[in-house]
Amino acid sequence: MKRSFAVVTDSTADLPDEWRDRYGIEVVPLKVLFGTETFRDRVDMTDEQFFARLAASSALPKTSAPSPGEFAEVYRRLAKDHDGCISIHIGEQLSATAEAARVGASSVVGFPVNVVDSQTVSMPIAFLCRVAAESPTLADATEAVQRRVPKCRVLALLDTLRYIEMGGRVSRAQAMIGTMLDLKPLLLVADREIKSVDRVRTRSRAIPRMVEFFRTEMPVETLAVMHAQAPDEAEEIASELRRELPDLDVPIGQIGCVLGTHTGPKALGLVYLKA
Amino acid sequence: MAATKAMGVDGPLFKRALLGSLIWLGTNHEEVNRLNVFPVPDGDTGTNMLLTLQSAVEDVKESNAAEVSKIAKLASHGSLMGARGNSGVILSQIFRGFARAVEGKSSLTPAELAAAFEEAANAAYRAVNKPTEGTILTVAREAGRAAAAAASGMDTNVPRVIAAAAAGARAAVLKTPSQLQILRDAGVVDAGGYGLQLILEGMLKTVEESEPAAAMLAEARKPISPASQVSLALPEGGWGYCTEFLIEGMNLDTELIRGQIEALGNSVLVVGEPELVKVHVHTDDPTSVINLAGGYGKLLKLNVGDMSTQHRRILETEGGTATSAPRPNGIGIVAVVAGRGLVEIFRGLGVDAIIEGGQTMNPSTQDMLTAIESVPYDEVVLLPNNGNVIPAAKQVIGLTKKKVHVVETHSVPQGVSAVVAFRPERPADENLRAMKAEAERVQTIEVTHAVRDTRSNGVKVKKGDVIGLINDRLEFAGADYADVIKQALGKLGPDAYELVTVYRGQQATDAEMSRLESEIRNNYPSLEVEVQQGGQQHYPFILSVE
Repeated sequence: MKRSFAVVTDSTADLPDEWRDRYGIEVVPLKVLFGTETFRDRVDMTDEQFFARLAASSALPKTSAPSPGEFAEVYRRLAKDHDGCISIHIGEQLSATAEAARVGASSVVGFPVNVVDSQTVSMPIAFLCRVAAESPTLADATEAVQRRVPKCRVLALLDTLRYIEMGGRVSRAQAMIGTMLDLKPLLLVADREIKSVDRVRTRSRAIPRMVEFFRTEMPVETLAVMHAQAPDEAEEIASELRRELPDLDVPIGQIGCVLGTHTGPKALGLVYLKA
Repeated sequence: MAATKAMGVDGPLFKRALLGSLIWLGTNHEEVNRLNVFPVPDGDTGTNMLLTLQSAVEDVKESNAAEVSKIAKLASHGSLMGARGNSGVILSQIFRGFARAVEGKSSLTPAELAAAFEEAANAAYRAVNKPTEGTILTVAREAGRAAAAAASGMDTNVPRVIAAAAAGARAAVLKTPSQLQILRDAGVVDAGGYGLQLILEGMLKTVEESEPAAAMLAEARKPISPASQVSLALPEGGWGYCTEFLIEGMNLDTELIRGQIEALGNSVLVVGEPELVKVHVHTDDPTSVINLAGGYGKLLKLNVGDMSTQHRRILETEGGTATSAPRPNGIGIVAVVAGRGLVEIFRGLGVDAIIEGGQTMNPSTQDMLTAIESVPYDEVVLLPNNGNVIPAAKQVIGLTKKKVHVVETHSVPQGVSAVVAFRPERPADENLRAMKAEAERVQTIEVTHAVRDTRSNGVKVKKGDVIGLINDRLEFAGADYADVIKQALGKLGPDAYELVTVYRGQQATDAEMSRLESEIRNNYPSLEVEVQQGGQQHYPFILSVE
């Protein structure tokens, strides 16, 4: 079935390859900079390569949004086969990506682009893309996605504060972890904010606390388990939740390079849309 | 003043007796310190009792009350405010019982004095949850019994009753090793009991002899080095002036005065009796406070201190910041912590006020009260972080209008775990439950040097040995920090844990630190090791195992 409109997102959506192929979703990569070397997220570098390099690198990499020109190029290409496009991106409180998309879209005359600020990051954006892709029209897609934006949640358990602090997205004070101690923060991305919901000293105790907090958030419409180089723990969490929620498909996703720069390795997450 | 048969115990005599106690305990408190069973450098019993007694006598010194009841009441209140350590708290309860027993009396007959001694001991027993024989409690009771026996005899008088009490105390102290295994093992008598014996002996000397020499009095007045410094977050509107004085007058109404003073400042304390009232207030306008109080009577011992200056000094030395967003649950946290690094760690975790102290100097009830009054919350969680501080911490409850919860943390690691578990949006009961549970989950290893030869928990140690304690119990002795810690970790069973946090003390050298780190990593590769600069004294290493 040929849709009349296109669905665009960026690499921070952690969109599974299978969904990208099945729904024909366009992914615009953000960039990771190690010193003067620039890599396009998940294009020039796989997740495995990225985390290996992150571990070996003394200075932390920087990340940057795609340029408006890059967006314009994508939209111009899509305009040939589509009547319009919905472009769903990482929250504007976290990145300039959505702004770049808007500027890029304004230079493509006669092709309507509905840019959506998802207010979130990672697989909830992929869920929104799927909702859009399954909608009959661009208007329906936009309405269905906008309605779900306030329901997106990312519950992230970081193994260390080092990366997110260096990235400047969360201060220690914000996370109630202004201490020298290397606590494992449990953060919730919701309502355009990153909130600290818990702080735990050891990993083995932090994981059950994350799942416990998630249970207070139920019911949910969709759920995925995310990880950065921690597939076994992610699998354990997913199978526990699949037993509890037999009606839900609980996929496991990998945290990509750009997000990984801020979470650091061994991060785990539960991402969901509240029902 | 020579003792005579007809002499009763009136205000002036009891005041002299207390001053005599202070001198005698002051002369001998180091001896009491040496009796500490535990060979760790800890809040010393002699020092704690002396500071408590000093506080008891503080207001008494300024009072000319003729009635024994008034002097006893001042001593009771002063000791309560200055109570430090376990023995200090029990001593304050002894004073309290005594004050209750003599209420309304201007002078005591020998029999009334003996009855008051007995009631003082009873009050102390009642105040302790699980009274242990062979401690200061037993000594207080035996002193009371001996006094009662002497009072019922023929030809009795006040000096004889006090002499009997002191002798009864001495006999009871000598018997304490037969009642307590730990004393027997260590080969010492009970320190708190001995302290009480000295207090009674000091009274006896005063009553028997002439008035204490001026030189001795001066000696007793010499303040002991300040135990602790309270460092606090800056309250809104600054600190103002700490204003303290006594009002001497007639028919003073403490309630009325308190109400008027409260309108002029905060941290208000107005205590006393119709003839003498002690006032303590933090105010921006000390002149108005003084003018108001001056209308009630003569002001004594006026002391006005600029707290903003003091506060800035504290902050500068600590490099701390004094800002925090108000918490949704309205609960403040106050902790007793020593060591620059540890102070920073607790502050970083969200603690609002820190009372510096703990390991060697136990802060007083008053120190903790001041810190609690300083935080901008009406409900406060207090973390003593040391077993010896817990009793004084619990005394704070009821001394303030604020709701105070003491989470009984026995060590720095327990304190850290408790604070980490605190959530600003969670109600008090849930927070308290979580903090307590987390504190109990963590294991503490402390390493220090033995301050004396002893035997404890079946371990023989020599002065200077490196000793390792697990959760306050002496478990290992050796020559080397790393070896002792390795043994202690082995005893805990490293398989059950994943993270060791090492709080490095001031004494630990870089070489000792790196050797310890590699010992742990080599012997227990499954454990994650995190090193923090604690900066604590006396304990080169404190380890949190979880």
